[in-house]
Amino acid sequence: MGAASRAYLVAYNAAQAAGWGVCLYQIAGALAAGGGPAEAYRAGAPSAAWMQCIAALEILHAATGLVPSNALNTFMQWLGRSNALYRIAQAIPELHANPAAALMLACWSLGEVVRYPWYAATAAGACPRWLTWLRYTAFIPIYPAGVAAEMVLMWRALPFIRRRGIFSVAMPNAANFAFDYATFITVVLAAYPYLWWGLYSTLLRQRRKKLGPAEPAGAGKRD
Amino acid sequence: MGAITIKVVTRSGKPLTDVQIGPEATVGELKKKIHASKSKYYPARQRLTLPPKAGTKSGEVLKDSATLASQGLKDGSVIYFKDLGIQIGYSTVFFFEYFGPMVIYPAFFFFPQIFYPWATAVPEKTLVQKVACAYWAGHYAKRIGETFLVHVFGHDTMPVFNLFKNCSYYYGFAAYVAYFANHPDYTSPPEKQSLVLFAVATLFQLANLRCHIILKNLRKPGEKGYKIPSGFLFNYITCANYYAEIMGWVCFSLATRTLTGALFTIAGAYQMAIWAQGKHRRLQKLFDGKDGRPKYPKRWIMIPLLF
Repeated sequence: MGAASRAYLVAYNAAQAAGWGVCLYQIAGALAAGGGPAEAYRAGAPSAAWMQCIAALEILHAATGLVPSNALNTFMQWLGRSNALYRIAQAIPELHANPAAALMLACWSLGEVVRYPWYAATAAGACPRWLTWLRYTAFIPIYPAGVAAEMVLMWRALPFIRRRGIFSVAMPNAANFAFDYATFITVVLAAYPYLWWGLYSTLLRQRRKKLGPAEPAGAGKRD
Repeated sequence: MGAITIKVVTRSGKPLTDVQIGPEATVGELKKKIHASKSKYYPARQRLTLPPKAGTKSGEVLKDSATLASQGLKDGSVIYFKDLGIQIGYSTVFFFEYFGPMVIYPAFFFFPQIFYPWATAVPEKTLVQKVACAYWAGHYAKRIGETFLVHVFGHDTMPVFNLFKNCSYYYGFAAYVAYFANHPDYTSPPEKQSLVLFAVATLFQLANLRCHIILKNLRKPGEKGYKIPSGFLFNYITCANYYAEIMGWVCFSLATRTLTGALFTIAGAYQMAIWAQGKHRRLQKLFDGKDGRPKYPKRWIMIPLLF
């Protein structure tokens, strides 16, 4: 990897870490000021919306081979979180008062302020062992909490989606296409545990590899 | 020369079985002997490799036709064994994955009361819908015919999991496209336009068939290596068969004016692009123009002017 690519990755991941740090800070601030779940959600939502939008770049990173990730997987994960943020939480203001909304943002930002710094440090070639430990341990409680929050929000969103017909297309039309967003979200809800278990178990497996017994002497720097 | 002992171990090093065999025997015969001692592992399930060289993750795969001696195997040599899982014949998979769409789409056409139970009035099908149904069913009938009469497969079997994976893809998309193409609220595009497009699609299907026949004739019976395809569209496109197939679906999607048709076309094109890139690179690497080998000519991978 060239020096320019490396520098770019360090800068990109640092910027994401900062953005999600701001999100977490604003959620904490709203709660400290005596706000409820709706205030906490609305405080964090703008920065989350920005960082998630910028995160679309990661699909390009994977597609160009800048990072070793699979482009399709990256796209699907970005799509999933974007859907939860823009087309569920942001689309239905009545959901903001639900604690699951603020919890979802909190879990995302808690996870990202560990994950992105790890990426940045790894790209810089200077990743301390404690950061690797944190990256491969913090997800253990955060992932399930975040997934649960997302699922609660989707479930609570269904009546509003049905009543308002949002993001839905009906026949007849020139493209001979119909899309019922409520049905789509119901299918997504059913698939969610299966999809997220796949990611969770992959991370657990990686954890065993990365945090396993120390390498024999002379193996060089870790990660 | 007397028989030699080959030690067959799993990739984690655990011994599987020792086989007594003549050094001039083939790998295929070795597989039969392994099967004789471990009845679960019929030859199609076995992948045998030489031990990996220092620094590499896995060793060279042993081809069935090679003799043990030619691979440098002698008395006491170690061979690595991998279980490929339950295998199923290529023809079997192809038949089932094509039979499904061939009957699923017409089911939506002929039985609206089942698939659109909420529709109180189901209008008569338009000409475009009728032709679309015939085209779709005919396409998959062609594919089944080619499976048994044209295609010569490079491998005999694949893991049985592929059957479920492939059938999910084909059956799922067949239902997705058929549901909207045969919907009671379907809006037909102008008839004449669609009929022309169906005709062009059929021409592409015939082109695809011709490509398949050319590919079939590349290998003489028993040959398993790669050859440079030539003639017809292959002179310009490495995977000319994929090109013709995609163009057929583009025409189908335009003829029926269904977004789902377009989605199906895009999904298929995406997968074929991955395969085409692999095949193109393989042929370029194999036919590098050195040591008397021909040089692979400059060609498009799959779509002229684009890729």
